[in-house]
Amino acid sequence: MSGARQFRYLFEPLKLGPVTIPNRIVFSAHLTNYAQGGLPTDQHVAYYEARARGGAGLIITEEHSVHPTDWPYEKMIHAFKPEVLDGYRRITRAVHAHSTPIFAQINHNGGQASSMYSRLPVWAPSPVPDPMFREVPKEVDHAEIAEIVRGYAEVAARCVEGGFDGIELQCSHSSIVRGFLSPATNKRTDRYGGSLENRSRMLHEIVAAVRDAIGPDIALGVRLCGDELIDEGTRIGDAVEVAGALERRGLIDYINTSIGVATASLFVIEASMHIPPGYALFIPSAIRARVDLPVVGVGRFKDPLQADRAIADGHCDLVGVVRGQIADPEFAAKARAGMTEQTRLCLSCNQECVGRMGLNRWLGCIENPMTGRESVLPTPVVRDPARDVLVIGAGPGGLQSAISAAAHGHRVTVVERSDAPGGNVRWAATVPNRAELGDVIRNQLVECESLGVKIEYGVSADLSLISSRRPDVVVVATGSEFNPPYWLPADQEARPRSTDVVSVLRGLAEPSGDVLVVDLLGFHEATSVAELLADRGCNVEIVTPAMVVGQDLGITLDMENWWMRAEAKGIRQTTDRIVTHAAPGDDGRIEVGLMYHLTGATETRNPDWLVMSLPPRAADGLYLELKAAEGQLGIEVHRVGDAVAPRRIHAAVVDGDRVGRVL
Amino acid sequence: MKLLSTVILGNAEASNRVMFGPHTTNLGVRRALSDKHIAYYRRRAAGGTGIIVTEEASVHPSDWPYERAPLASECGPGWAGIAEACRAHGSLAVAALGHSGGQGTSHWSQAPLWAPSDEPEVNTREIPKIMEPDDIAAVIGGFEEAAALASESGLDGVEINAGQHSLIRQFISGLTNRRGDEYGTDKLLFARESIEAARRGVGEGIVGLRLSCDELAPWAGITPESAVDIAGELASLVDYLVVVKGSIFSVPATRPDTHVDAGFNLDLVRDIRAGIDAAVPVVAQGSIIDVGQAEWALGDERCDLVEMTRAQIADADLVAKAATDPARIRPCILCNQTCQVRDNRNPTITCVVDPRAGHELDDPDPCPSVAPSVGGIGGTLLVVGGGPAGMEAARVAAERGHTVRLIEARDQLGGMVPIAAAGSGREPLAAITDWLESEIRRLGVEVVVGRPASAAELADHDGPVVLATGSIAGPPPGRLDGEAPLTAPVVLAAARTDRVRELIPEGSTVIIADPIGGPIGVSVAELLAPKGNEVILVTSDAFAGQMLALSGDLATCNGRLANLGVEIVTRVKVVSVSAGSITVEHRYSGESRTIEGVVVDAGPRLPDHRLRNQAGVSATPIGDCVAPRTIHEAILEARRAVLAL
Repeated sequence: MSGARQFRYLFEPLKLGPVTIPNRIVFSAHLTNYAQGGLPTDQHVAYYEARARGGAGLIITEEHSVHPTDWPYEKMIHAFKPEVLDGYRRITRAVHAHSTPIFAQINHNGGQASSMYSRLPVWAPSPVPDPMFREVPKEVDHAEIAEIVRGYAEVAARCVEGGFDGIELQCSHSSIVRGFLSPATNKRTDRYGGSLENRSRMLHEIVAAVRDAIGPDIALGVRLCGDELIDEGTRIGDAVEVAGALERRGLIDYINTSIGVATASLFVIEASMHIPPGYALFIPSAIRARVDLPVVGVGRFKDPLQADRAIADGHCDLVGVVRGQIADPEFAAKARAGMTEQTRLCLSCNQECVGRMGLNRWLGCIENPMTGRESVLPTPVVRDPARDVLVIGAGPGGLQSAISAAAHGHRVTVVERSDAPGGNVRWAATVPNRAELGDVIRNQLVECESLGVKIEYGVSADLSLISSRRPDVVVVATGSEFNPPYWLPADQEARPRSTDVVSVLRGLAEPSGDVLVVDLLGFHEATSVAELLADRGCNVEIVTPAMVVGQDLGITLDMENWWMRAEAKGIRQTTDRIVTHAAPGDDGRIEVGLMYHLTGATETRNPDWLVMSLPPRAADGLYLELKAAEGQLGIEVHRVGDAVAPRRIHAAVVDGDRVGRVL
Repeated sequence: MKLLSTVILGNAEASNRVMFGPHTTNLGVRRALSDKHIAYYRRRAAGGTGIIVTEEASVHPSDWPYERAPLASECGPGWAGIAEACRAHGSLAVAALGHSGGQGTSHWSQAPLWAPSDEPEVNTREIPKIMEPDDIAAVIGGFEEAAALASESGLDGVEINAGQHSLIRQFISGLTNRRGDEYGTDKLLFARESIEAARRGVGEGIVGLRLSCDELAPWAGITPESAVDIAGELASLVDYLVVVKGSIFSVPATRPDTHVDAGFNLDLVRDIRAGIDAAVPVVAQGSIIDVGQAEWALGDERCDLVEMTRAQIADADLVAKAATDPARIRPCILCNQTCQVRDNRNPTITCVVDPRAGHELDDPDPCPSVAPSVGGIGGTLLVVGGGPAGMEAARVAAERGHTVRLIEARDQLGGMVPIAAAGSGREPLAAITDWLESEIRRLGVEVVVGRPASAAELADHDGPVVLATGSIAGPPPGRLDGEAPLTAPVVLAAARTDRVRELIPEGSTVIIADPIGGPIGVSVAELLAPKGNEVILVTSDAFAGQMLALSGDLATCNGRLANLGVEIVTRVKVVSVSAGSITVEHRYSGESRTIEGVVVDAGPRLPDHRLRNQAGVSATPIGDCVAPRTIHEAILEARRAVLAL
């Protein structure tokens, strides 16, 4: 069945004012950190083009700044500089080659910024410091408001000159317009503060000025926040009123929606897998009940079925699919062709997309090594002669090696020791709220299948097996193994009742009672196992030498959720402690010595179990053995993933992709 | 002055003993050195520095520790430009070369880190690849090629990094080298091979070595005692040795902020210099910002040269002024606020007290006293407010030959700076306002203190007016439930005159509400805790001093607070507050807690608009009266406003 029939709504064209879009799948605005020196780059061009080629109905670019006082992060597009035009033209030309409309989002971040890059005071409605940047902004006067409004109009005109089909005003999660709309940040007593009408005044001034600048043939949309999820913030009632007022004035063509404030409640804007899909649909739903304008809904749409359903249920007219198309640029085309099983599903892990934005790095994808590198990584070409490649291990590194080698025309067999693929991902996906992580393996298996990769399970590889198979190339992807810490007695007899995270997840150990989780990794390992055990009725404490448990959860926007769940589940979090010793204790319990490293004070714990979340070591024995015999065997030897150095999924995927490219 | 005497480094002679050391600038373009780099170093050479060590370049592409980390193979043109600029002013210039090893990140290279053993990076916990023999050979080869390129580009030599963020130190140290091969049994082998490779590459040029001589981790790291032997062995291979401190566990210890004494390494460098046999010039490093201290260290034969890096970011003319009038040197205040830029955000290096630093091309300033303003400004410049903004405005204008009158309402100049400097560990801040005051007095600015300016006076003034009236207390951190709490500046001002007890009774509990997480709340806590008060710091963050990560004081401040017994109440929002009580609510459990005691609000302030809002006042506002921020913005805006007159 073709997707056009499978999905009743998704592929109906729609008019957004003067612009007709071919389907309802929107690649909504999101930061990429691809800009250099304030200008768009080839990285942008190739990135957007790939999504246009992949069938997106509408592309809305990342925000472009309308005024020099707005420079909250380094790699922002400075649309107030005329030099952006060349980049605009290259982007729009590339996207239009696929008959895909493309809109530019324009913005001023207001007080949600610092002066570090601009060396100018931050401008905002009131001198209320942003919760993240914590810099007191300058309260803008009327001349400055007029200057900003002019900036919007000038930039909008420049976007039209650059070939964009529409303009979107980001008034939603990081914007001076949001700042004016929200009672939390607008404390003014003049005609721009107080009543909702006054707080909306700047928005309407901008809309009018922009429409005037772009004329009737260009689409104009406004993105509104439906719930800021902050004290005194904008809530849905105000958002609906503002949408209604915008429609009454008749100057805009569609409304986009959003939830949260980027610098206060970002974890709901780019929700990770811990928040259910469709969580923000109440916003477009409420707005659509008020206005006839087309409304865009957003919020972790991972597959076309969810997207179609959101339209069918009347929540929205269009659906923003950002991470879904970051992971798979052909999301829309595959859906249209009815090939949804081929979609590389987004995991909502936030590790290499959202997680890199806050760190000022270019946007990528944990499972798509091409994302962000479309302009530099060549598309695989079939090599001649084809070689026989044997991959040892079917974790994400091994599978990606197989995919990459097969895409280059090689004959690939994967042998896996256990009875199923996935390596440690298989186990990581078994804990509460982490199941979607397992989609990376599902996606890789789909790709392996379509590329004709053979996978054998229950096969342990050693030197004799490898030499008997006589491959041209071996890729060792044997992963990592538990690395006992120095404080754990070497003598098994002298060890306390203890285990490691993977063993718990595999069911090889079943801790009960009071459990102490020692964490040196700072990501999902310790928090996942703590939740799992708390759910099973254990009394759990996590200790870490760091200042906070799960340091990296903040990067993927999982920190707030974790804190809420940890509080609800009674998981205690103890920081700044290092383990000094661990031994069997009295009454069948164990003794763990801790040192509070800030003062040197020592403490002991007497739990029933110790669970260790510690840096593993590379399982590199087979690789080193093969490497030593490389010349003698006449087999080219590579290794990838944790067998090189134990890291995260993305590193394994990139290693695997790289290995295929050099064969 | 011995500081200004020549010194031989290998086959070269430095014109004086002041070094401008290697540091991250983010001035690069991708991984190459830029024209901004050249201008930055040229300015310090013009100021007379003896030897410039350029920003470290990675010797091999496996090392990409921060986005704009220079890569040696791309540095040829930049090095050539720097060499030419420095030669023109008589400064030696050498390239810092290194490899960060396991202290880097894979985020830019998208490839594994390389290190001697698989010890995770402390902050990111990234596990490196254990280097294979080919990897070791590749890095050593990289040292030779990079040194050759530096030499061909016209530089006077290279400096090899075995200090902070260095693969060589990781090989030397038992903290990070657990290898079983010859590079593990002989932990100096990699260092020797790297230095020898650089020597082959550089030919007749200088080879210097920067060596961590105390990793502050005595269980396995390099200690001051073991460093004597290490330095002794390696010193014989090099032309100078820079003694530094710090390891993977103590990154901020290499260039700490105000909380560590200036010249903190001067005992260590003395012991190393005395302990090694080789007659190699030894360079002292470590928060040396004062010419007097530098001269003393040289006179005491603790060292042969002195690295004064931050001091020359703050005043590029440090050496020139040292020769004529050391009192005129604009002081570094060791704040690390804008020069500590090894930071994901890629801030451009600059200086709180001299915002032109790092902006030599877009904000050039030929010595203003020799380039007076061409046109007049139409009368006397009236500056209202004698804080850093007001004084900088007065100074810049007076230097350009204008007549300036400055009015300050308080009895003393300095504004908020001396008050902030009353916070524990913040004393060095006051040096900048002391300096500004001495400069404006030297330049003949008419200074009126002890009375506020009136609106009528401003309206009647015949000439431009600059308003630098500072800030007033901000709103309370939660709903006000009674009398307003004390604010941090009130407590700090009282501390200056030893009157804290009038505000905070002996034995009382003090609750500091700190929504910023910057230095103020923490320094108030540290001020009060030793006085016997129970101190509780309340924050919405997961720990105290969140913003101090940027200046390198985050872990250290939490250590100090813990040792002082300060209780940190984390992840809460303030619901209501009064002078004697605060009620907070946990952000994630919803649990609420009321604490009785003297409440101190360390929150953001509001601009003082009072004078500006009066009829008839037309003036240029600068600094905190635009928006209350830091010394940096005050000085930046002051200068900009005066140049625009």
